[in-house]
Amino acid sequence: MRARDLAEPYPTIALDDQALDAARLLAERRLPGVLVVDGDGLPKAVLPASQLVRLLVPGYVLEDPSLAAVIDEAHADRMCAALEGLRVRECLPKDVPLPVLADADDTTVEVAALMASSRTPLVAVLERPRDRRTAGTPRLLGAITAANLLQHLLEAAR
Amino acid sequence: MSNWQAWAALAVFAAVYVLIVTEWVHRVAAALGGAALMLAIGATDDEAAFFSTDTGIDWNVVFLLLGMMMIVGVLRRTGVFEYLAIWSVKRARAKPFRVMAMLVVITAVASALLDNVTTVLLVAPVTLLVCDRLALKAAPFLIAEVFASNIGGTATLVGDPPNIIIASRAGLTFNDFLVHLAPLAALLTVVLLAMCRFLFRDAFRYDEDRAAEVMALDEREAIRDPRLLAQGLAVLALVVAGFVLHPVVHYAPSVVALLGAGLLVAVSKVEAKDALADVEWPTLAFFAGLFVMVGALIETGVIETVSQALADATGGNPLAATMTMLGASTVLSAIVDNIPYVATMAPITADLVHTVGEPHGQVLWWALALGADLGGNATAIGASANVVVLGIAERNRQPISFWTFTRYGIPVTAVTIAISALYLWIRYFALA
Repeated sequence: MRARDLAEPYPTIALDDQALDAARLLAERRLPGVLVVDGDGLPKAVLPASQLVRLLVPGYVLEDPSLAAVIDEAHADRMCAALEGLRVRECLPKDVPLPVLADADDTTVEVAALMASSRTPLVAVLERPRDRRTAGTPRLLGAITAANLLQHLLEAAR
Repeated sequence: MSNWQAWAALAVFAAVYVLIVTEWVHRVAAALGGAALMLAIGATDDEAAFFSTDTGIDWNVVFLLLGMMMIVGVLRRTGVFEYLAIWSVKRARAKPFRVMAMLVVITAVASALLDNVTTVLLVAPVTLLVCDRLALKAAPFLIAEVFASNIGGTATLVGDPPNIIIASRAGLTFNDFLVHLAPLAALLTVVLLAMCRFLFRDAFRYDEDRAAEVMALDEREAIRDPRLLAQGLAVLALVVAGFVLHPVVHYAPSVVALLGAGLLVAVSKVEAKDALADVEWPTLAFFAGLFVMVGALIETGVIETVSQALADATGGNPLAATMTMLGASTVLSAIVDNIPYVATMAPITADLVHTVGEPHGQVLWWALALGADLGGNATAIGASANVVVLGIAERNRQPISFWTFTRYGIPVTAVTIAISALYLWIRYFALA
């Protein structure tokens, strides 16, 4: 089985979309992260849900975690206000790694090796032009999650 | 010691200073590299570097810093500083200027006992929290706290690393600092508050609803380990008592700090490795490198030549020497790190004290301490606490630019140094 067969449609969000929309998408779909794509629809980064949670926590609490205890619960209800007006590109960490990409023709073992070496639970699958010398941009087919890959490998082992 | 070695030592020293000021390489690497070169060219040797009390590593300074870092490292785990800061803000009824006054006083007092960087690291996040609740810009509060930290650090032997170096080189005690510098530091803190009322007059907008949000904070939740807090405060009290009772117990400050750190680890559940993890080892290595380099300058006769030139320049006039020391130290500490500055100036000052003689000799040490400690307020890079607070402000999207800081820093430094000059003149010359 090839990466194109394993790839499943995966939610994406654009760099200039609202951070609150990204948060809603992650919450509604219960995703660990969302693929961030550029204007051509190509993956630029993975925005983990934990990064958005980090943005909700006031900076002074990150500086001194003991302050979290002194803040009353009423403040927690307003934490999401921190994302208001922010674009997705502003939420990405400065040292955000590029998303891990697999070719549509990669084998299952290649995808597993890629996932293992990059320690990522999410691999984006790209269909690249057959002749690389000709013009044409790659196309995002979807993504393979570690859970999907494991499910496929377990089924194959039966 | 040959002439070429003196010139070579001077060249190495100057090159290392340039590297430290420009930060082209890490300051620890620069200091240790410089020390290694001094040993390599024979400007100093292992005997002098490791065992000489005059030209080697000042182990009293290194171990005093080590002990205090361990004690402070344990204390900061307790949440006592956060408790105090929030408690005081609530006592101020969240009225902005009163809040600033409380935080300034707490910072100044804490800086007298702890190092300045630790103090601002603890107070700045609480300040950001309070300003967030009050919907006020945090920059004026943070800048005022930096000033308070550098002023408060002047008050005691352990308040600022330059004071530790000065105390060790000059043989001054904790009580000497308390008697000679603490009253002035208290006065300067009051003056700072008056200046803040004027400098930041637009920053004190009061909103009753916002104030209620500050009053809702629960400072008791900040205390993470009441038992450790009691142990830590008891040991800190013993350590301060050990410093103050030096004339009776005759323990050097370094020994008192090490005994305190050891006692705290012994009586608390804190593991030795955890207490040692809070020690800033790079800072200690930086000190060691500096001492070896300055020792090489002494061994090669460079320091003696500079001291003689300075003595000739002031004509042996104690008042001129004092004011020159105060002024030059202020200007230089505003530009370069005051630790290498004082490490270099300490042996020169010792020579000048010898030249000037009693009864005015000791005042040169106070001029050096005041210039080095207060000069750090002038610019954003004048002291480590300034740099740390600017970094915290930046991370919290409340950036304070170099010039914003310096715009307030220069008048505060000018006024505090002018008052210090007056204090030195009145106390040690007019009334002497």
